Amino acid sequence: MAQLLLVEDDAAIRRALIRSLSALGHAVASAATAMEAVGHVVEHRPDLVLLDLGLPDLDGGEALRLMRAVSTVPVIVATARDDEAEMIRLLDNGADDYIVKPFGAGQVDARIRAVLRRAAAATPADATITVGELMLRPDAYEALLNGTMLDLSPKEFDLLHYLASRPGQVVTKRDLLTNVWRQPYGGADKTVDVHLAWLRRKLGESAQEPRYLRTVRGVGVKLVDPTQ
Amino acid sequence: MRLRLVLLVLATTSLVLTAFLLPLALLIRTFAADRAVDGAVAQAQSLTPVVAMVSGDTLALAVDQLNAAAPDRPVTVFLPDGTTIGARAQVSDGVRLARSGRSITAQVPGGLEVLVSVEGLPGGGTASGGGLGGTAVIRVFVPDAVLRHGVMRAWLLLAAVGLGLLALSALVADRLARSLVRPLADLAGASDRLADGDLTARAEPAGPREVQRVGTALNGLAVRMGELLTREREYSADLSHRLRTPLTALRIDAEGIADPESRERIGEGVDAVEGAVNEIIRELRRPVREGVWVTCDAAAVVDERARFWSALAEEQQRPMTVRAAPGPLPVRVGPEDLAAAVDVLLDNVFAHTPDGTAFALELVARAAGGARLSVDDAGPGMSGRAAVHRGVSGEGSTGLGLDIARRTAACSGGELTVSSGTLGGARVTLELGPPLEPKYRRGRRRHRAASRPGRGNG
Repeated sequence: MAQLLLVEDDAAIRRALIRSLSALGHAVASAATAMEAVGHVVEHRPDLVLLDLGLPDLDGGEALRLMRAVSTVPVIVATARDDEAEMIRLLDNGADDYIVKPFGAGQVDARIRAVLRRAAAATPADATITVGELMLRPDAYEALLNGTMLDLSPKEFDLLHYLASRPGQVVTKRDLLTNVWRQPYGGADKTVDVHLAWLRRKLGESAQEPRYLRTVRGVGVKLVDPTQ
Repeated sequence: MRLRLVLLVLATTSLVLTAFLLPLALLIRTFAADRAVDGAVAQAQSLTPVVAMVSGDTLALAVDQLNAAAPDRPVTVFLPDGTTIGARAQVSDGVRLARSGRSITAQVPGGLEVLVSVEGLPGGGTASGGGLGGTAVIRVFVPDAVLRHGVMRAWLLLAAVGLGLLALSALVADRLARSLVRPLADLAGASDRLADGDLTARAEPAGPREVQRVGTALNGLAVRMGELLTREREYSADLSHRLRTPLTALRIDAEGIADPESRERIGEGVDAVEGAVNEIIRELRRPVREGVWVTCDAAAVVDERARFWSALAEEQQRPMTVRAAPGPLPVRVGPEDLAAAVDVLLDNVFAHTPDGTAFALELVARAAGGARLSVDDAGPGMSGRAAVHRGVSGEGSTGLGLDIARRTAACSGGELTVSSGTLGGARVTLELGPPLEPKYRRGRRRHRAASRPGRGNG
């Protein structure tokens, strides 16, 4: 259970998120302004801050810089802007992760767990991942199959990394769009299918003769160890 | 423009010089001739008293001395008895006329003859020294060469002066033209940079007052454009926040619905609204994203997207045919928007036809410029134009995709049409217009790459 600080001026979102995150087992405190949030961070030292950028008293970017000046608490920034320049700006200002509105409680929870995992030094997020003869080195953006380097595009690597981080777990297309593409479901979701097709091709398999990538019809896809 | 100004000044100067130098040249020629004739007359008149008073050998000696002193103007004396003293000369009509007592100047082959009549010779006389009577004629011949003496040199000098003045005027004109053209070129450069999206571009108002006014106005326009675009960006960001924030609350609430069927139904509704909101925000950002001279190579973009989709086509055992005209095929669309439109058309095929359904892409150049992209499939077909407009689809989707493609085509000056295809299913045709390229930018044509960061293979 994590001690969270939710900084959100919109009462409806604040209410909904507090309810959802509490149901997921987190202890959630809230602040509606930047100054209130900074005060809370200094006084109560939460495990993680979920910071909305559209605050009434201070620009979210300024609030983030203020927080960074007084604390190293992990911060996930919630923003309605999805352009690349904005993302870079947020991460450069000290955000540990960002999430684009609109998002669901499940997505927020997943990001919270990921950020907390990275913050805990016991399990570094960049450790090598091995599934069967497939090995991923996230820090080097390398993937090898049977010792041979795979020529993957950045998005293909991200997709493989996400699946390999959850071996045997069925991942829905919505999850992939949200967590790998950071896009809402209902857009160009066929792009997930295309990338999965390219990944299969580069892993030397096909939908008819799968090895690592197994489609669960009507649900999603999972990555398994074919040797087991 | 500089060359035109120089040519204009040269033409004007040439006219002025011609109007001045031509009469001057004629005057010089006339003056030279008159001077020669005057000299000849003076020479003849100087001999008149000698002819009147002296005769015989003395007269002959005097004439010979005169000829020796001015050999270029030979003197002949025609005596009344028909004999001649001095240079050999024919008795011309002029001589006969002068014998009647008239002094004249007559044109003869090779020059002029100045004829001075000497009447009333006392006692008459012949060359042998006998008595003289009647009228003698003194003839001084002035050859053409003497008439034109010094004229050619003077003309050459005039020509040199004329050419020198022309060269000087060309130099002055060039300097003047530069001072006019430089601020205009600076203005043109600033407007080019503004059109390319560099809103910091400014012109340095310089040169004639009118050009300075244009430069100042252009700078004002740039400031205004920057303000409008900034306001648009801020509006876009504000709208993004105002639309997506309540959607977030709606999504979280939808996820909290206990009944799974209701949760899924409302979730799908929220997804649809999210998609529409994203598209609105994307369209709002389009003028900021693109410059005025947006263009890309349609052949390269279509080829890249076709290759991207080929993996899924192979996986779903869909025969895929691509027929594309060789590039470059410049169209008035940005590479990202064209790639998105192509993705929409192909996404529709994969989404609304069963696995194994064949489809084909065809890209051809249009006669009027631009390109035509057709996507045919062997599926069940699509209901006419209704599917092209937002929110209309009979297949369980929002219909947004084709609307996006339609607006992409419309922004390029083209259109999207839906019809029956040759494979038995639907055909969607995207007409894309040619890029806007003013004449002076033809030499700096740019072909942007079809890469799309974050999508496709990237």
